[in-house]
Amino acid sequence: MQLTLRGVTPIPLRDKINTYASGIWKQDRTFDKGQYVFVQAPSGTGKTTLVHTLYGLRNDYEGDVIWNGQKLAQTKAEQLAAIRTRHVSVIFQDMRLFPELTAWENIEVKRQLTNTVTAEEAAEWLDRLGIADKRNSQAATMSYGEQQRAAIVRALLQPFDWLLMDEPFSHLDAANTHKAIGLVQEVVKRNNAGLILADLDPNEYFPYTQAILL
Amino acid sequence: MSAPTNKQILNKLLLGRNRSGRLWAALAALCVGTTLLLVSVIIWWDFNELLYGKDQNDSLGSTFLVIGKKVTDQNMGMKNATLFTSADIDSVTHAPQVQEVGLISSNHFPVYAMAGGDLAFATDLPLESVPDNFIDKLPGNWNWQPGSADLPIIVSSQFLDLYNYVFAPSQGLPQLSESSVKLISMNLKVGGNNGMPPETVRAHVVGFSDRIGSVLAPQSFIDYGNQKYGKPGAGSAPSQLILKTKDPSDTHFAQYIESHQYSTNSQNLRWSRVRAIVEAVTGATGILAILLMGIGTLVFVLFIELTIVKAQASLALLKEIGYSPRRLSSFMSRHFVPLIFGTLIVSLILSLTAQYFAAGAAARQGLRLQLMPGWPLWAAAAFCLVILLLLISNAVKNAIKKG
Repeated sequence: MQLTLRGVTPIPLRDKINTYASGIWKQDRTFDKGQYVFVQAPSGTGKTTLVHTLYGLRNDYEGDVIWNGQKLAQTKAEQLAAIRTRHVSVIFQDMRLFPELTAWENIEVKRQLTNTVTAEEAAEWLDRLGIADKRNSQAATMSYGEQQRAAIVRALLQPFDWLLMDEPFSHLDAANTHKAIGLVQEVVKRNNAGLILADLDPNEYFPYTQAILL
Repeated sequence: MSAPTNKQILNKLLLGRNRSGRLWAALAALCVGTTLLLVSVIIWWDFNELLYGKDQNDSLGSTFLVIGKKVTDQNMGMKNATLFTSADIDSVTHAPQVQEVGLISSNHFPVYAMAGGDLAFATDLPLESVPDNFIDKLPGNWNWQPGSADLPIIVSSQFLDLYNYVFAPSQGLPQLSESSVKLISMNLKVGGNNGMPPETVRAHVVGFSDRIGSVLAPQSFIDYGNQKYGKPGAGSAPSQLILKTKDPSDTHFAQYIESHQYSTNSQNLRWSRVRAIVEAVTGATGILAILLMGIGTLVFVLFIELTIVKAQASLALLKEIGYSPRRLSSFMSRHFVPLIFGTLIVSLILSLTAQYFAAGAAARQGLRLQLMPGWPLWAAAAFCLVILLLLISNAVKNAIKKG
């Protein structure tokens, strides 16, 4: 699945974007499946806006976001759901777990949607990231770090061509970041997918094929 | 630990915030509205059956009128001028408000009635016959064939009143109840006018009519007598017709009677008044029921919308992680649709119970209502079901789309 950006400019950031040369905003860019893209985004340049725009959560922009020739803004809700379950997955900066569900229920609500990963494998991933003991804890009671790890596992429970990540390891220490990177890379490879990671500072979490300043 | 199913998780996310009391209240409102609507349909159907049905309910909704051609100074000497031709009958059949036309046949042969005992009398007797379905209280033994031992006769109840309240007191005769009159046996001397010997037929009064002011014998007897003893050239054209009318107070009907110079007793409007009241009552009940059904549906739809609004954050997040609006709508509908079916079934049971008691009450009044109402009830239930399903699926779809 190919991602094409054609002069995308978020309306709320339009004035700011006009003051500097962004590598993505207002540019025409194409990303092919399999690419590892790092987007370095200093504060206030629209890092979360970019991830939300690519994922179809925001429509307040000029230009076009095009997934496989289909303009995202014109994509119907049912098609958008299909894209989100089969082609594009996301790790949100704010995790977005269901606070009233347990960690395991948060996993199952996604896993049972696509049924591409077994419950045993999902449980093993939780174990690898060190939150197996939090399985029955309500998400609202978990620490940010634990929530982030559950959110990472949840994002990997579906088939995808692209994995979008918005500061995915911001709440993790180095050891847990390392474990999470290992798991993400393994599943991305298994899916022959590409990834777009947006973060504040340069990093070497993945062997990026492109690094762009937002 | 058993793994939670997708349904259990969605239940927790989307329906977990509902208080069951509110759900029951909404369902009760819907049930009351639906039941009232179904009951009003049953009321309408019951009255329709009572007033216009083919059943033996005395055709309460119709008014019966006997019409004849006016005897005027111009036609009083003309032979057959007041008889109804087939064209006249056809015209009357198609007149406004006329539901059915019956020919009144009279005897064209002499009938002489005699009785012995304390109430001895002897008199010439005019007889008429009308089709059986025009007789208000048809006796069980209402038939006659040549050779039958007894001729049943129906007498206008006005004749008995005239005897009891006017004639008997003036003559010092005893007053007679209906049952005692039925015990009086009389002999009818029939015919003897055309060279053929007369025959004697034993007769009994078997009933009294409030509808027809005449003396009635079975059609077969009149036909037999007219054929055997009838005056030559008398023909079979009726001089009177009995009409079953829906509303004789209708101006078009009155104009028709007037323009054709027919005579009738058009005062008998009480059933049309009753019908007007019944129609007003059923109409008002229907409107009230539709209003309540509307309110009940609104309450239920608002409850569904409230449920969805409460679950808005979860719905939005579910859509973000890939749940399609269709899947979520289908989940919500699958939750609410069985409740609709359940409510309708409860409403149907309540309505049928009401009909059971109504039929019992009607039976005590001598009226027959069927225990199982006809197609209008099922049509109304199906209509309610379709409307509710459409409204609810629409409400769910719209609320989820907005979320």
